[in-house]
Amino acid sequence: METIDIKVLPLLFSFLLLTVPIYLSHVFKIGFIRSLLYSVVRMAVQLFLIGIFLKYLFRLNNPYANIAWLVVMILVAVFSAIRNSSLKAGKVLVPAFVSFTIVTLAIVLYLNGVIIRMKNIFDARYLIVLGGMLLGSSLRGNIIGISSFYKNIRKDSKRFLYILSLGATRHEAVLPFLRESVQLAVRPTLASMATMGIVALPGMMTGVIMGGASPEVAIKYQIMIMLAIVTSTISSIVLTILMTTHICFSGYGTLKADIFRK
Amino acid sequence: MIDFEDVYLSYNGKVLFNDLSFKVGKGEKVILAGRSGIGKSTLFSLILGFVTPERGMVFFDGEPVDEKNVWQIRRRVAFIDQDVSIGRGRVNEWFDFVLSLKANSSLRRDERGLRESFEYFELEGDILEKDINELSGGERQRIAVVTSIILGRKVFLLDEVTASLDGHMKEKLAWFFCSRSDWTVVVISHDSVWLENPNVKVFDLEGKRWKQ
Repeated sequence: METIDIKVLPLLFSFLLLTVPIYLSHVFKIGFIRSLLYSVVRMAVQLFLIGIFLKYLFRLNNPYANIAWLVVMILVAVFSAIRNSSLKAGKVLVPAFVSFTIVTLAIVLYLNGVIIRMKNIFDARYLIVLGGMLLGSSLRGNIIGISSFYKNIRKDSKRFLYILSLGATRHEAVLPFLRESVQLAVRPTLASMATMGIVALPGMMTGVIMGGASPEVAIKYQIMIMLAIVTSTISSIVLTILMTTHICFSGYGTLKADIFRK
Repeated sequence: MIDFEDVYLSYNGKVLFNDLSFKVGKGEKVILAGRSGIGKSTLFSLILGFVTPERGMVFFDGEPVDEKNVWQIRRRVAFIDQDVSIGRGRVNEWFDFVLSLKANSSLRRDERGLRESFEYFELEGDILEKDINELSGGERQRIAVVTSIILGRKVFLLDEVTASLDGHMKEKLAWFFCSRSDWTVVVISHDSVWLENPNVKVFDLEGKRWKQ
C-alpha cells in the first residue's frame, strides 16, 4: 500500500480550513490575520519549491549532490540557531557550522550504514530526510543550549570570575555553565521521549505508517530517530560550545564583550 | 607583593583611576578606604586580570599581570568577592569542586582542618549537607572564608567579607586574618573592626595617600 496522493483541487480545500481561525481572529480581534497569511504563504511556497527540488534530487540520487544539499540544510540550521541567540554571527558561525556538520553527518551515516544497513549510505531518500529530521528536531535544543551558555556566563559573571580566581583554567571555569545549559536544553526532548506514543503519535512514525509500512516497522524507525535526536542535540551543543570558547574568551579567560549583538 | 604603577582606567566615559600608584608589601595588612563607586573592587579585578588598565601596569610579586602570568597569579591569591558568588548545589559539593581544580591538585580534602575552621567561624557541621541557596548571607560569607583558607594561599583579597556578620564574628574574622605575619591581606571594608588591629595600614583611594 502506497500513500494516497492528494489531488490539487482537494489540496486547495485544505486552505478552506483557514476560514475558521480567520473568523475567530476577526470576531475576538486577536489580530493575527496578517501574520497568519504571511506564514501560510511562505510555508506553501517553500514547500512547493522544495518538493520540486527534492524530486529531481531523488531522481538524480548522486552522493555528492546529496551531501551538498545536506550541508546547505546544516548551514541554514546554524544560521537560524545563531540568529535566535544573542551572539554575533561573524564570531561563531565557523565553529558552529563545523560542529553541526561533524555531528549530523556522523550520526546519519551511522543510522544508514550500521542500523538500517543500506547498500548506498548516501541514498537521497534516507540521507536527506533523516538529516533534515535530525537538524529540525535538535535545532530548538541547540538554540537553548548555546545561547543560555553565553547568556549565563554574562549574567552570572561574578560566579564565573570567582571560579577563575580560584585558579581554574578556562575549561574548568566554563564546565559548570556547560553542564547547566545542556541540562536545560535536553529537558524538553527527554520529556517528550518519556511520553512518546501515549500523548501523541510522533512525526516519523506517522510518515512511515502512511508510507505503507506496518506499525512494527514504524516504531523501530521512531526509536532509532529519537535516540539519534538526543545524541545529536547533546553532542552538537557540547561540541559547539567547546569550539566557540576558543574564540569567545580573552587570553585572561574573561568573556569578550564584542561577541554579543547590541 | 602587589604594585600599581601609574594605572589609568575609565569606565563608561568616567575616569576611575588617573595615574594611580601604590604598593602593598609582603605580609602587610592593608585596608582600602573610600566612598562607594570609587573603584575599590575594580582594584581587585585589576590584580586578578578580570579588567586590564588602559595605561600603566599592575605587578604581582614582581611579575606584570598579563595574559601569560595571570593564570599563575590566580593560583597564588585567595579572593572573596562582595556578592560571595560561591556556586550552586550543596556546600559539600562546592568544596569538592574547589579541590577538584587542577590548580589545587596538591591539596587533599582535610576533614579535620575543615572541622576546625568550621568551629572557629562558628558554623555547624551539618551545613555541609545544606544547599548553598538556603544559607544566610553570613553563612555564605563564612563558607567563602573557609574556602579561601583551605586553599593554603598567602595573599588574600577580601571584598566586604565582614558585611553580613555580627559584631563578635567581625572581630574574630579580622583578628584571624591580621594575626598571620606571612599573609598579605588587602581588605575592602566599611567595618571599623579592621582598624582596631595595630598592624593595619589604610590606603585612601580618594586622596590617593596612606592614612594610617
